[in-house]
Amino acid sequence: MSRKLLETDGPDWVKRGIISSEQHRQLLELYPDDAQAIGLLPLLGSLLVGLSALSLVAANWQGLPEWLRIGLLLGGFLGAYASGEFFLRRGNSSVGMGLVGLGLILFGAAIILTGQMYQLIGYDVTGLVAWAVAGTLLTYLYRSRFLFVLTVVIGGVVQGYTTGQLGAFSYAAAVLTAGGLGYYWWRRPDVVLGGVLASGLLWQTGLLIGHLHAKITWFFVPAMLIYAAGDWQTDRPAGRALQGPPLITAFLFMLGLALYGEVGSYAGMLRPPLLAYLVALLLVLALSLTGKRTRDRMGSATDWLLLLPGFYLPGGLPLAVASLVVLYAYSGAVLWRAQAEQNPDRVTLGTILFILTTMVAYFKLTWEFMDKSLFFLCGGVLLLGLSWYLRRRNARASSR
Amino acid sequence: MFSLLSDQVPLARRRRLLMLTILAQVLFIVAVAAAGYATTAYGRTIRLRTTPIDPRDLLYGDYVILNYTISQLPASLWREPGPRPRRGDPVYVVLRPAGEAYEAVRVYAKKPDVPADQVVLRGWVADGWRRTLRIRYNLERYYVPEGTGRELERRGARKPLLVNISIAPWGQARITGVKTIVSDSLATPRR
Repeated sequence: MSRKLLETDGPDWVKRGIISSEQHRQLLELYPDDAQAIGLLPLLGSLLVGLSALSLVAANWQGLPEWLRIGLLLGGFLGAYASGEFFLRRGNSSVGMGLVGLGLILFGAAIILTGQMYQLIGYDVTGLVAWAVAGTLLTYLYRSRFLFVLTVVIGGVVQGYTTGQLGAFSYAAAVLTAGGLGYYWWRRPDVVLGGVLASGLLWQTGLLIGHLHAKITWFFVPAMLIYAAGDWQTDRPAGRALQGPPLITAFLFMLGLALYGEVGSYAGMLRPPLLAYLVALLLVLALSLTGKRTRDRMGSATDWLLLLPGFYLPGGLPLAVASLVVLYAYSGAVLWRAQAEQNPDRVTLGTILFILTTMVAYFKLTWEFMDKSLFFLCGGVLLLGLSWYLRRRNARASSR
Repeated sequence: MFSLLSDQVPLARRRRLLMLTILAQVLFIVAVAAAGYATTAYGRTIRLRTTPIDPRDLLYGDYVILNYTISQLPASLWREPGPRPRRGDPVYVVLRPAGEAYEAVRVYAKKPDVPADQVVLRGWVADGWRRTLRIRYNLERYYVPEGTGRELERRGARKPLLVNISIAPWGQARITGVKTIVSDSLATPRR
């Protein structure tokens, strides 16, 4: 309950005799005001002063002697860290963490600008990896969710720069994100951080697959490894959050396959050696299922339906049909589980997936054989009917 | 470090580790600057000549891409027995002064001893074809002071540039300056 609610609705409760005014006062004491928010005007004022100093420095950067430039860079992030610590000690944690985050960003800027000054950057990833290391250390030290998110982003940027500009993959950055931040999340599970971490790791995985010029379906082996980690997490919602991004990518991939799979050149990038791919995927599956069993969540095993390797079928119609079967199996399973668990959120999700799949299937299978106006008419009727049926079932499920 | 995640870490220990983390960041920046400074202070400066390039490819935001005459070498300069070097292999290119700039004379797989008038520059094979070796020196990017990139690009498209490189005794090399060839500056005013 928030203090705000107590303040606004509390007098009404007292009037209705639900609580006494003494109890109201005691309740208010339980939720003390947040530490005094600092005035907005001084903050804006100092922001403007800071900006003017920044533009003055930027305009004369080339003319400044090197030692002064280094001094300014060091002073920049040290000042941000120090003032962050100052606000944290005064109990103003959002401003404090914001300033520490600014310090971390300025540290990265210092690495890049110092490197440019001496024509060193652009080849060496050590400097950029040091940035991610600093972010990870600060995340552990402050135990801050904000710094966690920032470090995931920094890891992604570093990896993007390394693969895009330097034509290399920084395994150090990848291990740091997966190991350092992954362990943090493991010990302090959190829903938002789970989603962010999984997205960051998937981004790096995608870059790795692109860098190695591997068949794109190999992506799903590490992606499902991330998924399997969610199965072993004791905190159920956080584990589910980690599993979201891998499932979303798998679903979108299958959707894309159903839509464009028949293009021959595209299908050529799909098929890794059958045996190696299946063995790797089955190993991850075994790991995931063991986790589900240990944590008593076998019901979610249907997620793996999305990973059925229908793409080994020949391109063209068989491939499209196979991916549609996979999509229907998955969204059907989501709906079925939602009914069993009577979970309204999941019913909505399952309905959306089901409608999406039906749209793709309809588009795919009828476009070429039907007159255009008839096509849209039938599509509209089909969707309306489907949504009516699902909503009715939905209502029945929630009324039961 | 992992013990930091438990709730029983004394505040003093956390503060101490925080100070260390921030100190390490300061030292890192200072080390990068020191490495850059030392390469110039203790290094030997040579000049390399670039080849004219398509000006549209030259300028990338705040840096220019440089392509040296020694970036592409005839395979006959390879002086090691056995197979030709492969992509990504490190190589050592021996340079000798030739006119205004240094040019490559031999390529080795291990750092060779050379007479006093010659220098060794470390590089990596970027591509190996039958007759030529493409070599990357990690000197191909020059970060230009703001606003001067266009000017450099314009001049570099007409004439080769001369690039000053400082090579430290421990092998590190970096660009210390870029200029146009002297005779070029006497040419008639450009459009």
